[in-house]
Amino acid sequence: MSGISDTERMITLKTVEGTLFDVKSSIAKDLKTVQAFIDDSDDDVTSPIPLPNVFTRELSRILDYLNNHHRFRSGIEKADEEMARYDAEFAKSMSHEELKALILAANYLNVKDLLEFLNQTVADVIQNKSVEFVRNFFGIENDYTPEEEEKLRNENEWAFNGVEQD
Amino acid sequence: MSEVKNKLDLLQWLGPDMSIKVLTHLDDPCDLVRVSTLSRSWHQFVIENGLCKHLCLKMFPELSGVGHVIEVENMIEPVSNMLGSSSNWECLKRNHKVYAFLACGLTPSISGNCISDAISASSTDNYPEESVLNTLDPRDRTDFRASYWSSKGESDPSVPETLVYKLTSKICLITEIHVQPFKAYFQPGLPIYSAKAVRFRMGRPKYPTELESAEVDDIIANHMFGGNLWTYTSPEFPMLQENCLQKFKLPEPVLCIGGVLQVELLGRVQKQEMDQLFYICISHVQVVGWPLLPAYDVKIHHPSGKCTLKYCPQTDCCMSPTRRGDSSSPSRLRNFTTSIMQRGVRRWEQILIAALLGPGAVVVDE
Repeated sequence: MSGISDTERMITLKTVEGTLFDVKSSIAKDLKTVQAFIDDSDDDVTSPIPLPNVFTRELSRILDYLNNHHRFRSGIEKADEEMARYDAEFAKSMSHEELKALILAANYLNVKDLLEFLNQTVADVIQNKSVEFVRNFFGIENDYTPEEEEKLRNENEWAFNGVEQD
Repeated sequence: MSEVKNKLDLLQWLGPDMSIKVLTHLDDPCDLVRVSTLSRSWHQFVIENGLCKHLCLKMFPELSGVGHVIEVENMIEPVSNMLGSSSNWECLKRNHKVYAFLACGLTPSISGNCISDAISASSTDNYPEESVLNTLDPRDRTDFRASYWSSKGESDPSVPETLVYKLTSKICLITEIHVQPFKAYFQPGLPIYSAKAVRFRMGRPKYPTELESAEVDDIIANHMFGGNLWTYTSPEFPMLQENCLQKFKLPEPVLCIGGVLQVELLGRVQKQEMDQLFYICISHVQVVGWPLLPAYDVKIHHPSGKCTLKYCPQTDCCMSPTRRGDSSSPSRLRNFTTSIMQRGVRRWEQILIAALLGPGAVVVDE
C-alpha cells in the first residue's frame, strides 16, 4: 500500500548554474552520491543539496532517464521494448561532447544503471573507428614519436584493417 | 569543474575502474588493440589490466583452462630472473599479444565477405560492360546499366566457365560461397542465365608474384600468372535457375592458403533467343569466412608445394627458415610446417593452441 511519507518526500537539488530540481526521494536513491549525503545528514534535508560538479543540462538528462526507467519498471509488460527504444533514442540525441559530459556527471552522482548504459554507448561510438578519432574523442595526447607509432601499427597491422574513415 | 577540456583524457577523469568498464564493452579485439596504441599510458593500461585476455575468455570461455596453463608456463621464467617486476611486465605483454591474436583468429563473429578482388574469367562476352568485376557488386543494376558478368555464347551446353577471385588475406577460413545468377530483365521472357551446378577450388598462384587485378583480360591473366595450384576442390552443388543469392555451404570450413578462389560453373541451361547460344551470367559472388589474421605469414616453397606457416607474435624476432619443431629455442617464433590439406576448424584450433602451449613447435606432417 503506497502513501508512506518516505516515498513521497521531495529532495531539492541545486546545479552549478543555481537551477533547482525537485526530485522524488525514490528517484534520489539512484543518485548514490546524493543518497549518501542524505544518509549522512540523518535524513534531515530541507534545504537544496548543492551539486558543484553537475550542470543543469546533465542533471536534467539524468533525471529524465531515471524517471522513464522507473516508469518502465513499475508498469506494463511491453516495457522491455519500450525501454530499449527509449535508450536508443536517448543515446542518439546526444552529441559526443554531451555524451562525455553526461558520463562525468553520472559518474560523480554514481548512477549505476545509467553509467552501465553509457559505457556501452561509448564503446559503440569508438567501435571500428580510427585511432585519430578515438584520441580526439577521449582527448588523449599522443605521446608516441612517429617512429614508435609506425612500429606499433606494423606489429598490429591486422587490427587496422577495415576501420571506418573519419 | 567544467566541461571536458580538449586535451584532458576522459578516462583519466573517470578513473581506472570506470575505464575498464568502458573498454570491456568492446567486442571486437581489433578495437581493443587499436585502443592500446593511442598513447603510452593507454598501452600500459590495456596490457596491465589484461583486457585482451578478458575479451578472449569472454568470447571463448572454454579457453579458461588453457589460459591458466599459458600463465603457469610464463611464470616459470621470473624464477630465474632477478627483476621480478619487469618480467611480470614481459609476461603481461606476451599475454596481451597472444590473446589478441587468439581472439581475432578464432572468432567466427567477424566473418564476412572475403573477396578482395576479381582476377579473371574464362571468357567474357562484352568486355568491359560484362566484366567479372561486376560480380563484386551485389546489385544487378547500377545507375543506368545492368551489373553482371557474362560468358561467351556456346552451342554446346556442357562447356563450363570459371571465375577466379583474390581473397582478402593469404590465409582465410572459408565456410560458404554465395552466387547469384543473372536474370536478364531487359530480355523477353526474363531468362535467368544460371549454371547447372557449381564447384569451388581454392589455392594459390603458381608463381608468387603479387596478384594485380588491374588486367581482367582473360588471356593476359592466364599468361601472367601461369595458372593456379589448387589445393582444395569442393563437391558439386546443383544450382537453381532462380534469381536469388544462392548459398553453398562447404561441408567443412576450409582453410585457403594462398588467397585464390575459383568458382566453376558447370553446364549451361539458358539459351539466348537472339543467337540460340547458351550463356552463363552471374550478377554477384560472395565468399564468406574470415581471414586468419595477424601474425601469420605464408612462405610457399617451390617445387615441393609445402608451405611454412609462421606464427610471429612479434615482428622483430628472428626469421629462421623452416625447421622442424625447435624445442630448444625460447624465442616466440613458432614455425610449423603443414602440408596443404583441407582442415576443419576444430583441428586448426587444436594446432594453434598446442603450438602456444608447448615449448616445442607442433609439426603436422601428413
